[in-house]
Amino acid sequence: MDDLHVAVVERCVATLDVAAALDSVADPRFGGIASFIGRVREHNLGRVVTGISYDLFEPLALRMFRAIGERARAEVGAPLKLYIAHAKGDLAVGDLAVLVAVGTPHRDEAFRACRLAIEAVKHEAPIWKQEHYIDGDSAWSEGCSLCEEQRDAEHAHAKHDETGHGHGH
Amino acid sequence: MKTRIALYGALREADPSGHVELDVPPDSTIAELRELLTAYLHEHAPTISVGLVRRSAFASAEEILHNHRTVPEGVELAVLPPVSGG
Repeated sequence: MDDLHVAVVERCVATLDVAAALDSVADPRFGGIASFIGRVREHNLGRVVTGISYDLFEPLALRMFRAIGERARAEVGAPLKLYIAHAKGDLAVGDLAVLVAVGTPHRDEAFRACRLAIEAVKHEAPIWKQEHYIDGDSAWSEGCSLCEEQRDAEHAHAKHDETGHGHGH
Repeated sequence: MKTRIALYGALREADPSGHVELDVPPDSTIAELRELLTAYLHEHAPTISVGLVRRSAFASAEEILHNHRTVPEGVELAVLPPVSGG
């Protein structure tokens, strides 16, 4: 559907384009546009980060981005245009990792849909982050399990001891 | 039947080719496939933790396949460790 624009962008080919994202959700019906831009930051959990490599299962990621868009549309109950793009490959500090933009008639729907979409991308889409540190070491982030039995068990555990599921976002 | 499974994220380190191929009895469930993969990795990639496979999901290019689902025939699957996009 034209109202949903989703993409995976190889870092070695292009960077994510904020202006293109905002353009793609513009519409004469819409007075509100909200966006979220995720960039690679220079530290995580007390370690100095020099870059991030993103791995994606691309066909499923694109399907999920579309499904997230449909869910956001149903959730806010308003017409919307939504753009989701995620970078793939080797990124440096400051590079754009993820871009979400939403256009809706009013700001409340735009903010809600944008928040829903970025949270779903982070917690549900098949994307993996490997951080590279200044000391030459690298590590894959711990992440959120997509295995429903495991996720249920982790939620039960998190409720029990209120420690959350332990991956710091 | 032979089932090819693509590896992603931390599980890529299990095999430099980026996939493994397992012999899966017909009508196996995803839960049974998980046990087969755990045993395979224990033998061929002992540095991969059993906990990581337990926390991973299986998927086709179309959808996540939960534990009760039957392993589809002739379809390449993927094993997805916990995700960390954004």
